[in-house]
Amino acid sequence: MILSTFKKENQGFMRSGRIRIALLTVLLLIAVAFWISSKHYEATNRMYDSAKTSERANWDGQGEKNPHSAAHYGTYAFKPKYPLSLIDQGVDKYVGSSIFLEAHARHEAQFSEAADQTGLARFGNLSPDFILLFIMPLLIILLGYNSFTKEHEMGTITLLRSEGASFYKLALGKWLSLFFPILVITSLLFLGAGLVLSQLPDYGVFQWSALGDLYGVYLVYYIIFTNLVLFISAKSKRSGVSLVLSLSLWILSCLALPKAASNVAGHLHPYPTRQEFAAEVLKDKENGLDGHNPWNKKAQTLQAEVLAEYGVDSLHQLPFNFDAYRMQKSEEHEAEIYYKHYDKLKEQYRKQAEVYDGLAMVSPYLATRFLSMSLAHTDYATHWGFADAAEQYRVATQAFLNGNFAENSKYGEWGYRADADFWKELPPFEYDPPELSTIVSQNQRKLWVMALWCIGSFALLLFTTKKL
Amino acid sequence: MFSYNLKYELKLLWRSRWIQLLGVLLLVLIGFAVYNGQVKTDQWENSIQTAQQTLKASDAAMVKVLDSVEQGLEVSLAPWLVPTSPMAVGNVHPRVVAKDAQPLSYIATGQSDLFTPYVSPKATGDDFAIEFTEMTSPVQLLFGNFDLAFVIIYLLPLLIIAFSYHVLSAEKERGSLRILMAQPISIRQWVFQKLTLRFLVLSVLVIVAFVAVALGFGLDVWANAPSFFILIALVLTYMLFWFALVFLVNLWVGQSARNAISLLGLWIFFVLLVPSILNQIGSVLYPMPSRTQMIGQMRSLKAEATEKQDEILDNFLRDHPEYAVNDSTQKRNFYHRYVASQQLIRSELEPVVNRYTEQLQKQQDLLGNFKWLSPAIVVQQALNRLAGNSTADFLNYKFQVMGFSETWRNHLMPLLYNNQDFSQEDVPKLPVFQYQPLSSSATSALLVLLGLVVLLFGLGFGFTKRIWAS
Repeated sequence: MILSTFKKENQGFMRSGRIRIALLTVLLLIAVAFWISSKHYEATNRMYDSAKTSERANWDGQGEKNPHSAAHYGTYAFKPKYPLSLIDQGVDKYVGSSIFLEAHARHEAQFSEAADQTGLARFGNLSPDFILLFIMPLLIILLGYNSFTKEHEMGTITLLRSEGASFYKLALGKWLSLFFPILVITSLLFLGAGLVLSQLPDYGVFQWSALGDLYGVYLVYYIIFTNLVLFISAKSKRSGVSLVLSLSLWILSCLALPKAASNVAGHLHPYPTRQEFAAEVLKDKENGLDGHNPWNKKAQTLQAEVLAEYGVDSLHQLPFNFDAYRMQKSEEHEAEIYYKHYDKLKEQYRKQAEVYDGLAMVSPYLATRFLSMSLAHTDYATHWGFADAAEQYRVATQAFLNGNFAENSKYGEWGYRADADFWKELPPFEYDPPELSTIVSQNQRKLWVMALWCIGSFALLLFTTKKL
Repeated sequence: MFSYNLKYELKLLWRSRWIQLLGVLLLVLIGFAVYNGQVKTDQWENSIQTAQQTLKASDAAMVKVLDSVEQGLEVSLAPWLVPTSPMAVGNVHPRVVAKDAQPLSYIATGQSDLFTPYVSPKATGDDFAIEFTEMTSPVQLLFGNFDLAFVIIYLLPLLIIAFSYHVLSAEKERGSLRILMAQPISIRQWVFQKLTLRFLVLSVLVIVAFVAVALGFGLDVWANAPSFFILIALVLTYMLFWFALVFLVNLWVGQSARNAISLLGLWIFFVLLVPSILNQIGSVLYPMPSRTQMIGQMRSLKAEATEKQDEILDNFLRDHPEYAVNDSTQKRNFYHRYVASQQLIRSELEPVVNRYTEQLQKQQDLLGNFKWLSPAIVVQQALNRLAGNSTADFLNYKFQVMGFSETWRNHLMPLLYNNQDFSQEDVPKLPVFQYQPLSSSATSALLVLLGLVVLLFGLGFGFTKRIWAS
């Protein structure tokens, strides 16, 4: 019974012109999206490599210079693209990809792609994640909205009843036949992506296991949609009604809820504006140690402490350059201030994330969206990780420069210049995105939500309807 | 027959509770959307107001310090912060250069969630590195906003589709089509009348819902009546476009479910696919140069300029003798060299930086030429313009910021190169920025939409004749 339903339904799909056109369109869209996405990926990484090399060359070739001038000249940290961003671009285009690292100030990542695009870009990009998250569920709806209703409309329900078919067997057959084409398309897509990614030499740290997890997440997402569409079809009397209901579900969970969630999260836990944030930081900085200002209160205290520690009565008698020492102390102090304020920002986002997590109970799209971005290293957390790593590197760089300045010059000797070779000793900036296991453990709540949706929707489909 | 049809249909819609359902739904959707828009606009305005107040306070403090200095008193400020130095004024007391919210800003978020309400360019800062983007959670940007534009562009067509996809097919499926065909009216005429009524009903509901929401939130509709009428006209023509599609599909397709599928296919095509494909074509034809590359160029130029700063300063002063005419000391310090180098870097980087706006402008032009491919794009653009939050508005703002930044620098530069102190009297003379919004016109959008509507109805009345005849 299950097998014959499966066969019959799939034959039906293949014979329907409407479905053939839909399948072809989806395949075509996927191909185009992949092509565009891989071009974009290659271009970005090419730029990343060249920018990284030329920036390092700028840094290394500074010549003889005062270390503090070098600190103000600064350097840049660039964010690479990760292999799975080929499938899910996540928030990448909304965050900057380069951070300026200089003395005294922590900068935000600059130049997001979205800021350089027209308003049209806000409709969405033709990228694989757009197809996977929005179009595939629509395909499920198109294939399955009339699974049960057509039996009513064509009168074949009487035939099925007369054969003594049980609802479970029929439902299972229909479920398999609906899920089968989706499974085939998704598998092809991921297999193709995997092959492409493992072939290209520059694709960095590509892992089949991460791709496999991503594949799993999307399959569960489609299983949920399959269950819900079939449930609606089984409960509706007419195909038109079933279609409109399934679509309302799609609009609600994929379009309306995420937008509403974004507004609600923003209202409840707002971010400060860029200027407010800067003003708060400045206020704390003014009350703290100013590395350039010997008249500053905290600077005076530090001076007294150091003089007492070394048992001397003038800064000139110290075995190191106190100017540089004070700058380093101030740098450490200011880094703390930045950590404090960025932690507040993170806390705001953590609260926003709770709103999203809560709403994921209503919309399976949200959980899938977040899991997919995390696995692809294109989520907000990865961006935070990058920004934090850049900040740590900035603080370490300042210590490296101030250390040289302090050791090799005397107090007040602002004319000191470090050797031209000195700059090469600074280790390069490295950032490794979180490991797969870390991502999985960080996203446990979302995984549970997905599991709950999966089980719940199966139960809904199989246990709410007993008879044909 | 017509009036009879109207009466009958109206009664039917009321008794089947369609009118009540749509009314409540519209009220809730529009209410939530306008509320969201209003909150955003308030935040935007508050942020600017706070900044203006802070600036006022800091200017007052600056005057006090200047007064003390002019009286020969000692001030407790680091020497480079004392406002007698024009560059201290230029960098520590920058002006607030704000993009004021427009009366209808709440209808469409547009690009405004990406950018800050105001910037404060410093005299020696890098113009091309002015941070226009706002500190928002990128997740929020990714999901977008539940604003009025979203309700109109995405949801309203779906309501129309759900409301009338089976006007004709339901009759067929119920078997009442035969009775209908015996009436002295053509089927096409009948469907047309039925849809006209539905359009009128929905229009009234939309207008009522909007007015109710506007009154509820205390929005001043009368003060902006012209813009408000344009908004309503846009919404109604957009609705008309979807009703025209519904009309065609009802005549051409047949079964209810098929009608629904066809209409939803069209919705996906117009609202999701065409915009994203057009966007993609735009960025393929006019690709944005890489920002990382720009950083590279800027860095190399800066490194070069630092090495040759004395030479640059000499050349600069030779080119601008007016800057140092009143100075007898000819003393040169860090800022003299730095400002001259910055000037040079700026002029050399200008073509690189302009390329971004040029490419964006070209993408925008392409969009202007092909927007008729999707009425969703036409309406999005028109609403964003009406709200003052479109790409064009932000480009305009950026140009004005660059202009003001130049004014700000030029205002202080003579003082710097003449080694003159900034004094109390100079404070009221400091330039003030006033944002000049673009004038928005929705005429072309309305014409495009109307053209599409006429085309669709023409198709409906012209071609279906043959189908029904055969």
